[in-house]
Amino acid sequence: MSEQKTRGVTRRTFVKAATAAGLAAGLGPFVIPRRAQAAKTLKILQWNHFVPGYDKWFNNTYIKEWGEKNDTQVIVDNVGLVTLNSRAAAEVSAQKGHDLFMFLWPPPVYEDQVIDHAEIYQECQRRYGKPIDLAVRSTYNPKTRKYYGFSDSYVPDPVNYRKDLWDDVGMAPDTWDDIREGGRKIKQKHKIPVGIGLSAEIDTGMAMRAIMYSHGSSVQDAEGNLVLNSPQTRECLKFVKALFEETMTPEVLAWDASSNNRMILAGKGSLVLNAISVTREAENKKMPIADQIWLAKAAKGPVRRIGLEHVMDVYTIWKFAANIEGAKKFLVDYIGNFRQGFLNSEFYNFPCFPSRVPDIKQLLAKDSKAKPANKYAVLTDVLDWATNVGYPGYANAAIDEVFSTWVLNTMFAKAATGATSPEEALSEAEAACKRIWAKWKEKKMI
Amino acid sequence: MTALASHAAAPTGARSRLRRLADSERFLAWALLAPAVVFIVALVGFPFVLALLYSVTNVTVGTQSASFVGLAKFRQAMESPAFWGAVRNTFLFTLVSQALVIVLAGTLARLLMMEFRGKWFVRLLILLPWVAPISLGSIGWLWIFDSIYSVINWTLRHIGIFGPETWPIWLGQPTLAMASIITVHVWRMLPLAAIIMLAGFSGIPKDIHDAAAIDGAGFWRRELQIILPLVLPIVLVAVLFGIVFTATDMIVIFIITRGGPFDSTQVLASLAYYTGIDGGDLAEGAAISLFLFPLLVAIAYLMLRLARRTEVT
Repeated sequence: MSEQKTRGVTRRTFVKAATAAGLAAGLGPFVIPRRAQAAKTLKILQWNHFVPGYDKWFNNTYIKEWGEKNDTQVIVDNVGLVTLNSRAAAEVSAQKGHDLFMFLWPPPVYEDQVIDHAEIYQECQRRYGKPIDLAVRSTYNPKTRKYYGFSDSYVPDPVNYRKDLWDDVGMAPDTWDDIREGGRKIKQKHKIPVGIGLSAEIDTGMAMRAIMYSHGSSVQDAEGNLVLNSPQTRECLKFVKALFEETMTPEVLAWDASSNNRMILAGKGSLVLNAISVTREAENKKMPIADQIWLAKAAKGPVRRIGLEHVMDVYTIWKFAANIEGAKKFLVDYIGNFRQGFLNSEFYNFPCFPSRVPDIKQLLAKDSKAKPANKYAVLTDVLDWATNVGYPGYANAAIDEVFSTWVLNTMFAKAATGATSPEEALSEAEAACKRIWAKWKEKKMI
Repeated sequence: MTALASHAAAPTGARSRLRRLADSERFLAWALLAPAVVFIVALVGFPFVLALLYSVTNVTVGTQSASFVGLAKFRQAMESPAFWGAVRNTFLFTLVSQALVIVLAGTLARLLMMEFRGKWFVRLLILLPWVAPISLGSIGWLWIFDSIYSVINWTLRHIGIFGPETWPIWLGQPTLAMASIITVHVWRMLPLAAIIMLAGFSGIPKDIHDAAAIDGAGFWRRELQIILPLVLPIVLVAVLFGIVFTATDMIVIFIITRGGPFDSTQVLASLAYYTGIDGGDLAEGAAISLFLFPLLVAIAYLMLRLARRTEVT
């Protein structure tokens, strides 16, 4: 027996202690008494908002008030936007997770896993009036006639530019040709480039589509047929190559979702496409550059003035969610209170049910932080120039995969840098799209 | 009375059985092995079998049911230029990283064998990149390579190596981006390889060094004909560990380049993730991830054989 002793601890003692510790860890959560809780629980997963004040309001004020009124304990988990897809895949795989899962883009690929959200739209429409077309096109599958999500809000994607630099060259970024010419002049004169991403990330995806749509090009037509290979797309590829060579530097090839902000706030960029998080961050941190960053509508191309929504908030309710009814009620009530959301996001989240912020024009025309106070008034007619991913059709599973695997981002980056010819880049992208289209057609989802 | 006695004896009997169990070598061996077995089955075996099944179906992230499609997903992956680019990048990334790791780890191990003050502290510092979470280290490197705030560029400019107009975009140019992820990976793998090699060097008996010195062996002769053959089995173990870790890693790429610029740093592991999770095509993602399997099996076989050869009998 003494042979088994090691510095006073016998093997027997060790095995006993290890077993006891294991049992305690395993059974502890079930045995330890918990505090009294609300009758129901509602679990929400959403991103870390780019405007921190929004999360503060939503997590600390709004959900608590709603929870008290509805005898529900609301738990919010905030995650980084790049982990949303992997979290969703994990929840579906486990058939367990949050009651409300918020994506920042349409998630049609999960259509089989979510409830039909039509009922929520109907109830909101009954109470608050019609939703905007952008919301419907980002959450409805006309093939299966199912709403695979519910969009409470979208985020405009204006042009953010340095007023001082653009004034200095006597131009304003109104059209894509202006951006190319003015950007080139500023780069030559001040050595400050334009920053439009050409990388595997969301902002690039939006920017490239804005260029395509304004030049009359698109991935699909209104009926959902693949039409990427077109003379208009070739023109876009040539335009982006020229834009890259004349106005930018290779840093846009390493772009991530916050590069826009970093570049222009560091004074190293003359123009970026981004949500208003750029100007809000500058204002909130009282940065001197704040007054020099102005906003403009999406740039006009040879065919039309059009851009993307920058972010599309899409809430989904899994079929396996534990509290489906609570989740539905939460969304309907949230739309009812959306004005608070609009204000606390500092005009970042725009309403999908416009009646909920009836004074939006007045609010945008006179902001207490902006200089000039009407800096955000340019967003008043955003619905005239913002569209959905998948334009002129609906967002669908094929469009989602093309977007999420950065097929267009890679195509434009390859053509812009000369890694391949524009024709080769288009041919590769088209082949990838054809594979994707065939797959989702076989699954009868498009 | 009999009933009472048996009642009183019951706990003593149970206790003694428990005591016997705790003293049993056989039970203890299984009890200590069990967590490792459970860990391997749950986190390696099960996902692997799942990947095999997924790769021959048309399963997506949004479906629970799937149909058997044979090798269609493998064919589909091979039709994509991105796949062949990822194959090339995987080999380049792995081979260059490992070549650098072995050379640097050998040098580091020899330095660590020397006697100097604060040796334990230096060893601790060298181990840090291996011990610290790789995601944390990679985020640090992301800032080091940042296009605006790069500390490398700032330093080299301030000491006069870069001119005022020179500001390399480390992650924005294909060659520099590949060099960047290789650097991070070498930084990460170096400690483990150095420690393995240090063990090898320390294991060479001093008599052999003395005999070589008496026989008048020069530096190269001593290195190549005496030390290298003795440490070779251990060096190969370090190489094989490194190859497996590098070829299957995606964290460095996921955090630093996300496969860019335009797929020039995309490797099979990251392509599998982007296709399977972000793209939603779990089946094709699984098929891509399995392409390296035969090669890694061969490497694992070699590892086991080498491990047996290095056993002291």
